Amino acid sequence: MTDGRFILRKLSIMLKTYPFNPTWCPGCGNYAIWASLKQGIADTKYPKETFALFYDVGCSGDMADFNRYYGFHTLHGRALPTAVGAKLANHELKVIVIIGDGGCYGEGGTHFLNLMRGNHDITLLVHDNHRYSLTTGQMSPTTEKGTKTKSTPEGSIEDPLNPIAIAISNHATFIAREFAPDIPRLSKRVTEGINHIGFSIIDILQPCPIFNPKQSHEWYRQMLVKLEDESHQPNDRGAAWKQAVRIDKLPIGLFFQETKPAYHQQVSELKEGPLVNKSIETIDIGNLLKDFR
Amino acid sequence: MDRDSLNWKVAGYAGEGIMTTGLLFSKTASRHGWYIFDYPEYPSLIRGGHNTYQVHASQNPIYSQKIAIDVLVALNRDALELHQNELTENSVVIYDHNQCKTEISEFLPKANIIDVPFINLAKESGGKEVMANNVALGASIYLLGFDLKILDGVIADVFAGKEEIINLNQKAAKAGHDFVQKSGVRPQIRTEPQKQTIDLATMTGNEAIALGALANGLQFYAAYPMTPSSSILHYLAEKAQMTKIVVKHAEDEISAANMALGASFAGARSMVATSGGGFCYMIEALGEAGVSELPLVIVESMRPGPALGMPTWTAQSDLKFLINASHDEFPRFILAPGDAQEAFELSRKAQELAEKYQVPVILISDKYLSESRYSLNLPENIFKNSRFGFSQTPQPDKTGLYPCYQITESGVSQRSVPGQPGGIHITTSYEHDQYGFTSEDAKERKAQVDKRFKKFELAKKEVQPQFWEEEPEAFLTFISFGSTKGPIRQAREELKRQRVATNMLNLSWLWPFPTDQVKKAVENSKNAVVVEGNYQGQLASLITQETGIIVKNRLNRYDGRPFYPEEIVDYVKNLSI
Repeated sequence: MTDGRFILRKLSIMLKTYPFNPTWCPGCGNYAIWASLKQGIADTKYPKETFALFYDVGCSGDMADFNRYYGFHTLHGRALPTAVGAKLANHELKVIVIIGDGGCYGEGGTHFLNLMRGNHDITLLVHDNHRYSLTTGQMSPTTEKGTKTKSTPEGSIEDPLNPIAIAISNHATFIAREFAPDIPRLSKRVTEGINHIGFSIIDILQPCPIFNPKQSHEWYRQMLVKLEDESHQPNDRGAAWKQAVRIDKLPIGLFFQETKPAYHQQVSELKEGPLVNKSIETIDIGNLLKDFR
Repeated sequence: MDRDSLNWKVAGYAGEGIMTTGLLFSKTASRHGWYIFDYPEYPSLIRGGHNTYQVHASQNPIYSQKIAIDVLVALNRDALELHQNELTENSVVIYDHNQCKTEISEFLPKANIIDVPFINLAKESGGKEVMANNVALGASIYLLGFDLKILDGVIADVFAGKEEIINLNQKAAKAGHDFVQKSGVRPQIRTEPQKQTIDLATMTGNEAIALGALANGLQFYAAYPMTPSSSILHYLAEKAQMTKIVVKHAEDEISAANMALGASFAGARSMVATSGGGFCYMIEALGEAGVSELPLVIVESMRPGPALGMPTWTAQSDLKFLINASHDEFPRFILAPGDAQEAFELSRKAQELAEKYQVPVILISDKYLSESRYSLNLPENIFKNSRFGFSQTPQPDKTGLYPCYQITESGVSQRSVPGQPGGIHITTSYEHDQYGFTSEDAKERKAQVDKRFKKFELAKKEVQPQFWEEEPEAFLTFISFGSTKGPIRQAREELKRQRVATNMLNLSWLWPFPTDQVKKAVENSKNAVVVEGNYQGQLASLITQETGIIVKNRLNRYDGRPFYPEEIVDYVKNLSI
C-alpha cells in the first residue's frame, strides 16, 4: 500500500494546481485508474508531450479535463478510430485510449473489432463498470444477464459480452484485465501496455458504488484470482481462452501477449518517418499527370 | 455529321469491358488534339445489365454529352433497341450481325449500317472474344478518320507492362480498321489538322478531386467504398506508394471520418469521400470538426436517394442537406465544382480553407461530375503550398496552460500538435473555454460561439467570383450549381447558333453564399431560370433565403439522369415569357 498512498498524496498536491477537479462520485474506481494511468505513463520515461490521449464519452472520459497530456475528447464510441488516425499521422506518438464499456463494446463495437485486427499500436484502458453510469446507470454490454437497471426494469435479457475472449480470438496482441483499486499493479500493467508494440487492451474492472453496488469491492475480492497464481503463461492462447471464459472466478493479469508487426510498421509509405514530418511545401504532380494524357 | 465534332457511343453488356473501350477511344480523340466529354452509364450490377460509354469530342471546347449519336458501336441486340431514338439518318451503326442475331432493319430502317464480324476478326487476329471491342475501336477509328497509330499508342500506355495484351489488342484494332477500309466504306469525318496545340489532360471529376488534393499536400485519406465516390479511394490507394500518403479503407464511414479527424489533430492534411448515405454516418464527425475546430475535407458525391436510392445515377438533391447537416451551428465551406478543371482547383482550395479557418469543408460532386471525363488544361506540374495556423513554438500562458481556443480578432487560434513541448492541451467535442476544458458557463459558451462565427465573417471574403458568361441583349439568365454547368454551356453553344442570346451564372461556392453576385445577376436579368437536379428547387429556395429574390422559372430533373443540352434548348424555345 505504500506505493498507492504515495501516489494519492502526489495526486492531491497536483490537484491544487489544476483548474478542474474530478467530478467522480466518492468511491468511484476512476480515481484509482487515473492515478495508475499517470504513474504508468511516468514510468515509461517518455517525454510527456509524446503522449496523445483519446477520451471517449462517459465517466472515464471526464478525466480529459483533469489530465495534462495532449488529448482529444472525442465522440461516443469514436475514441478508437480517432486514435488510430492520429497514430497513422504521427507514429512516434504514444497513443492511449480512455474509454468505457459502453463506448468500447457498444457504440464503438465495430471499431473495437476491426481496429484490433489491424494490430494498431494503441493502448486501450477500458473502464469496465458494467453500467452506463454517466447517464445514471442503464445496462451496458458487459452487464450480467437478468440485471435490473433503469432501462431494463424487468432484468436485462442479453448475456454479457466477453471482451477478453473476443480479443483472444480476434488478433489483439496484448490482452490484460486488472482491478481498478490495485494502483501499483494496474500502473505497472499500463506501462507494459504502452511499451507493447501493437494493439493492447486492458479491461479494467471498476466498482461503481452508486449504480452497480452489487459488484462491490467485497464482491470483487471474492471473485478475483490472479493469473500468475494459476501458473498461467501469457504465450498460451488456448490457456488464455480457458481463463477468459471461466465463470467460477474472474481472473486478472496478462492473458495473452505476442509479438507481431504493428499496423503502421506495415504501411510502406511510413518507412521514411511520420506522415506529419513530410513537407508539403512543394508538390510535383508531373508523374501523376502522365496517366491522363 | 459536323466536321469538327463527333458523338460516339459504345453499348453492350456490363462486364464486357465497355468502360475500357470508351476510355481508349476518348484518349485517342484527345491525343488527336480534340476536346472530349465522356459520359458512362451503367446499372448497379457487377455483371449483366446494359452499359454505355459515350464520347462527345470536338475540335473546340466541349462541355457535356448530347443525345444525337454519330457513331454507335452496338455490341448486342439491346444496344440497337435501347438507342434507336438517339440515331438520325446520318448516324452510322457498327455491329456484328452474327452476335446481335437480329435483322437490324427492324430497328433502324434509315441508319447507315456496317456489319463488322467483331468476334471472328478478334479470333482471326490471334486474340480472344473479349478483344472484339478492340475490333470495334479499330473500325471506329477508320470511320472517323483518326490515326490507327495513335490508338496503338493509347493501348500501349493503358495496358503498360502487359506486352501480350497490348500486342493482341493492337492486332484486333488493326483487323477492325482494315476490314472497314477494304469494304469500301468511306470515312464519315475527315479530321482536320488539330486546331489547338495545348496538351490537354483528360480526367474524371473524381480523378481531378484526388489529384487536386494531392497537389495541395493531402497526407491522410480514409474512406469506406460507396458509389460514386469510390474511384477517389481507388485512385489514391493506387498512388499512395508514389506520393507517400496514407490511405486507409476504414471499417465504416464513421470510422473514416473520425480517423481523418485524428490525423488532422496530429497535424496531417486529411480528407474523406463518400456519397449521401455514407455522409449521413459522417455527420457527427462533421459537427465534431465544427466545435473542436479541426480542419477536415469531406467530398460528397451525390446520387439519387434517399437511403440506397439509385447508386449509379446522378442527382443534385443533397444541397440543403449539406448546408444544414449536423445539429447546432458552426461555420463551414461548401464548394461545388462545375467540371473537372474546377474540381481540381477547388479540391486544392478545400484543403487550404479547411486548414486556414480550422473548419470542415464539404466538396460537392455528383455521379455526373465524379465519373464523367473532361478535357482540362493543367500547364503546371509544381504546386507551392503554405501551412496555416500552426504554432511553431507553442508556449503556455501565465496559467501554465496552452490556450488552444484563444479568442482572437480573426477567431482563428494557433494550434499546437502532439509532440510539441509547451503546447499540451485538450482538443474537445464539448463546449469549452479557451484552454479546451469543458465549460457550461454561459459567458464562455457565448464567447466560443462568437469566436467560431468570427471565422465565418472572415471566410465570406474568400468567396471567389462565380462562373458568369453573358451576351448582349440576353433575354434569359440560367442559374445553376455544380455539374449542371456543362449541359448549360453546351446548350448555350446551340442557342448562340440559333441567335438566342442568354447569360449563365453557375455557382461553385455555395456556403458562404455569394449573395451579392447572385443578387446582381438576377436583378440585371430580364428573366432568370434555375436549372437543378432535384425536385423541390433547392438552389432556387437557397437564393430566396439568401437574397430575398424569388426566381419563378424552374427547370428540374430528378430521374437520375443529367441534363442534356437538347432539353435545355427545348425549354428555352418553349418558354413563354
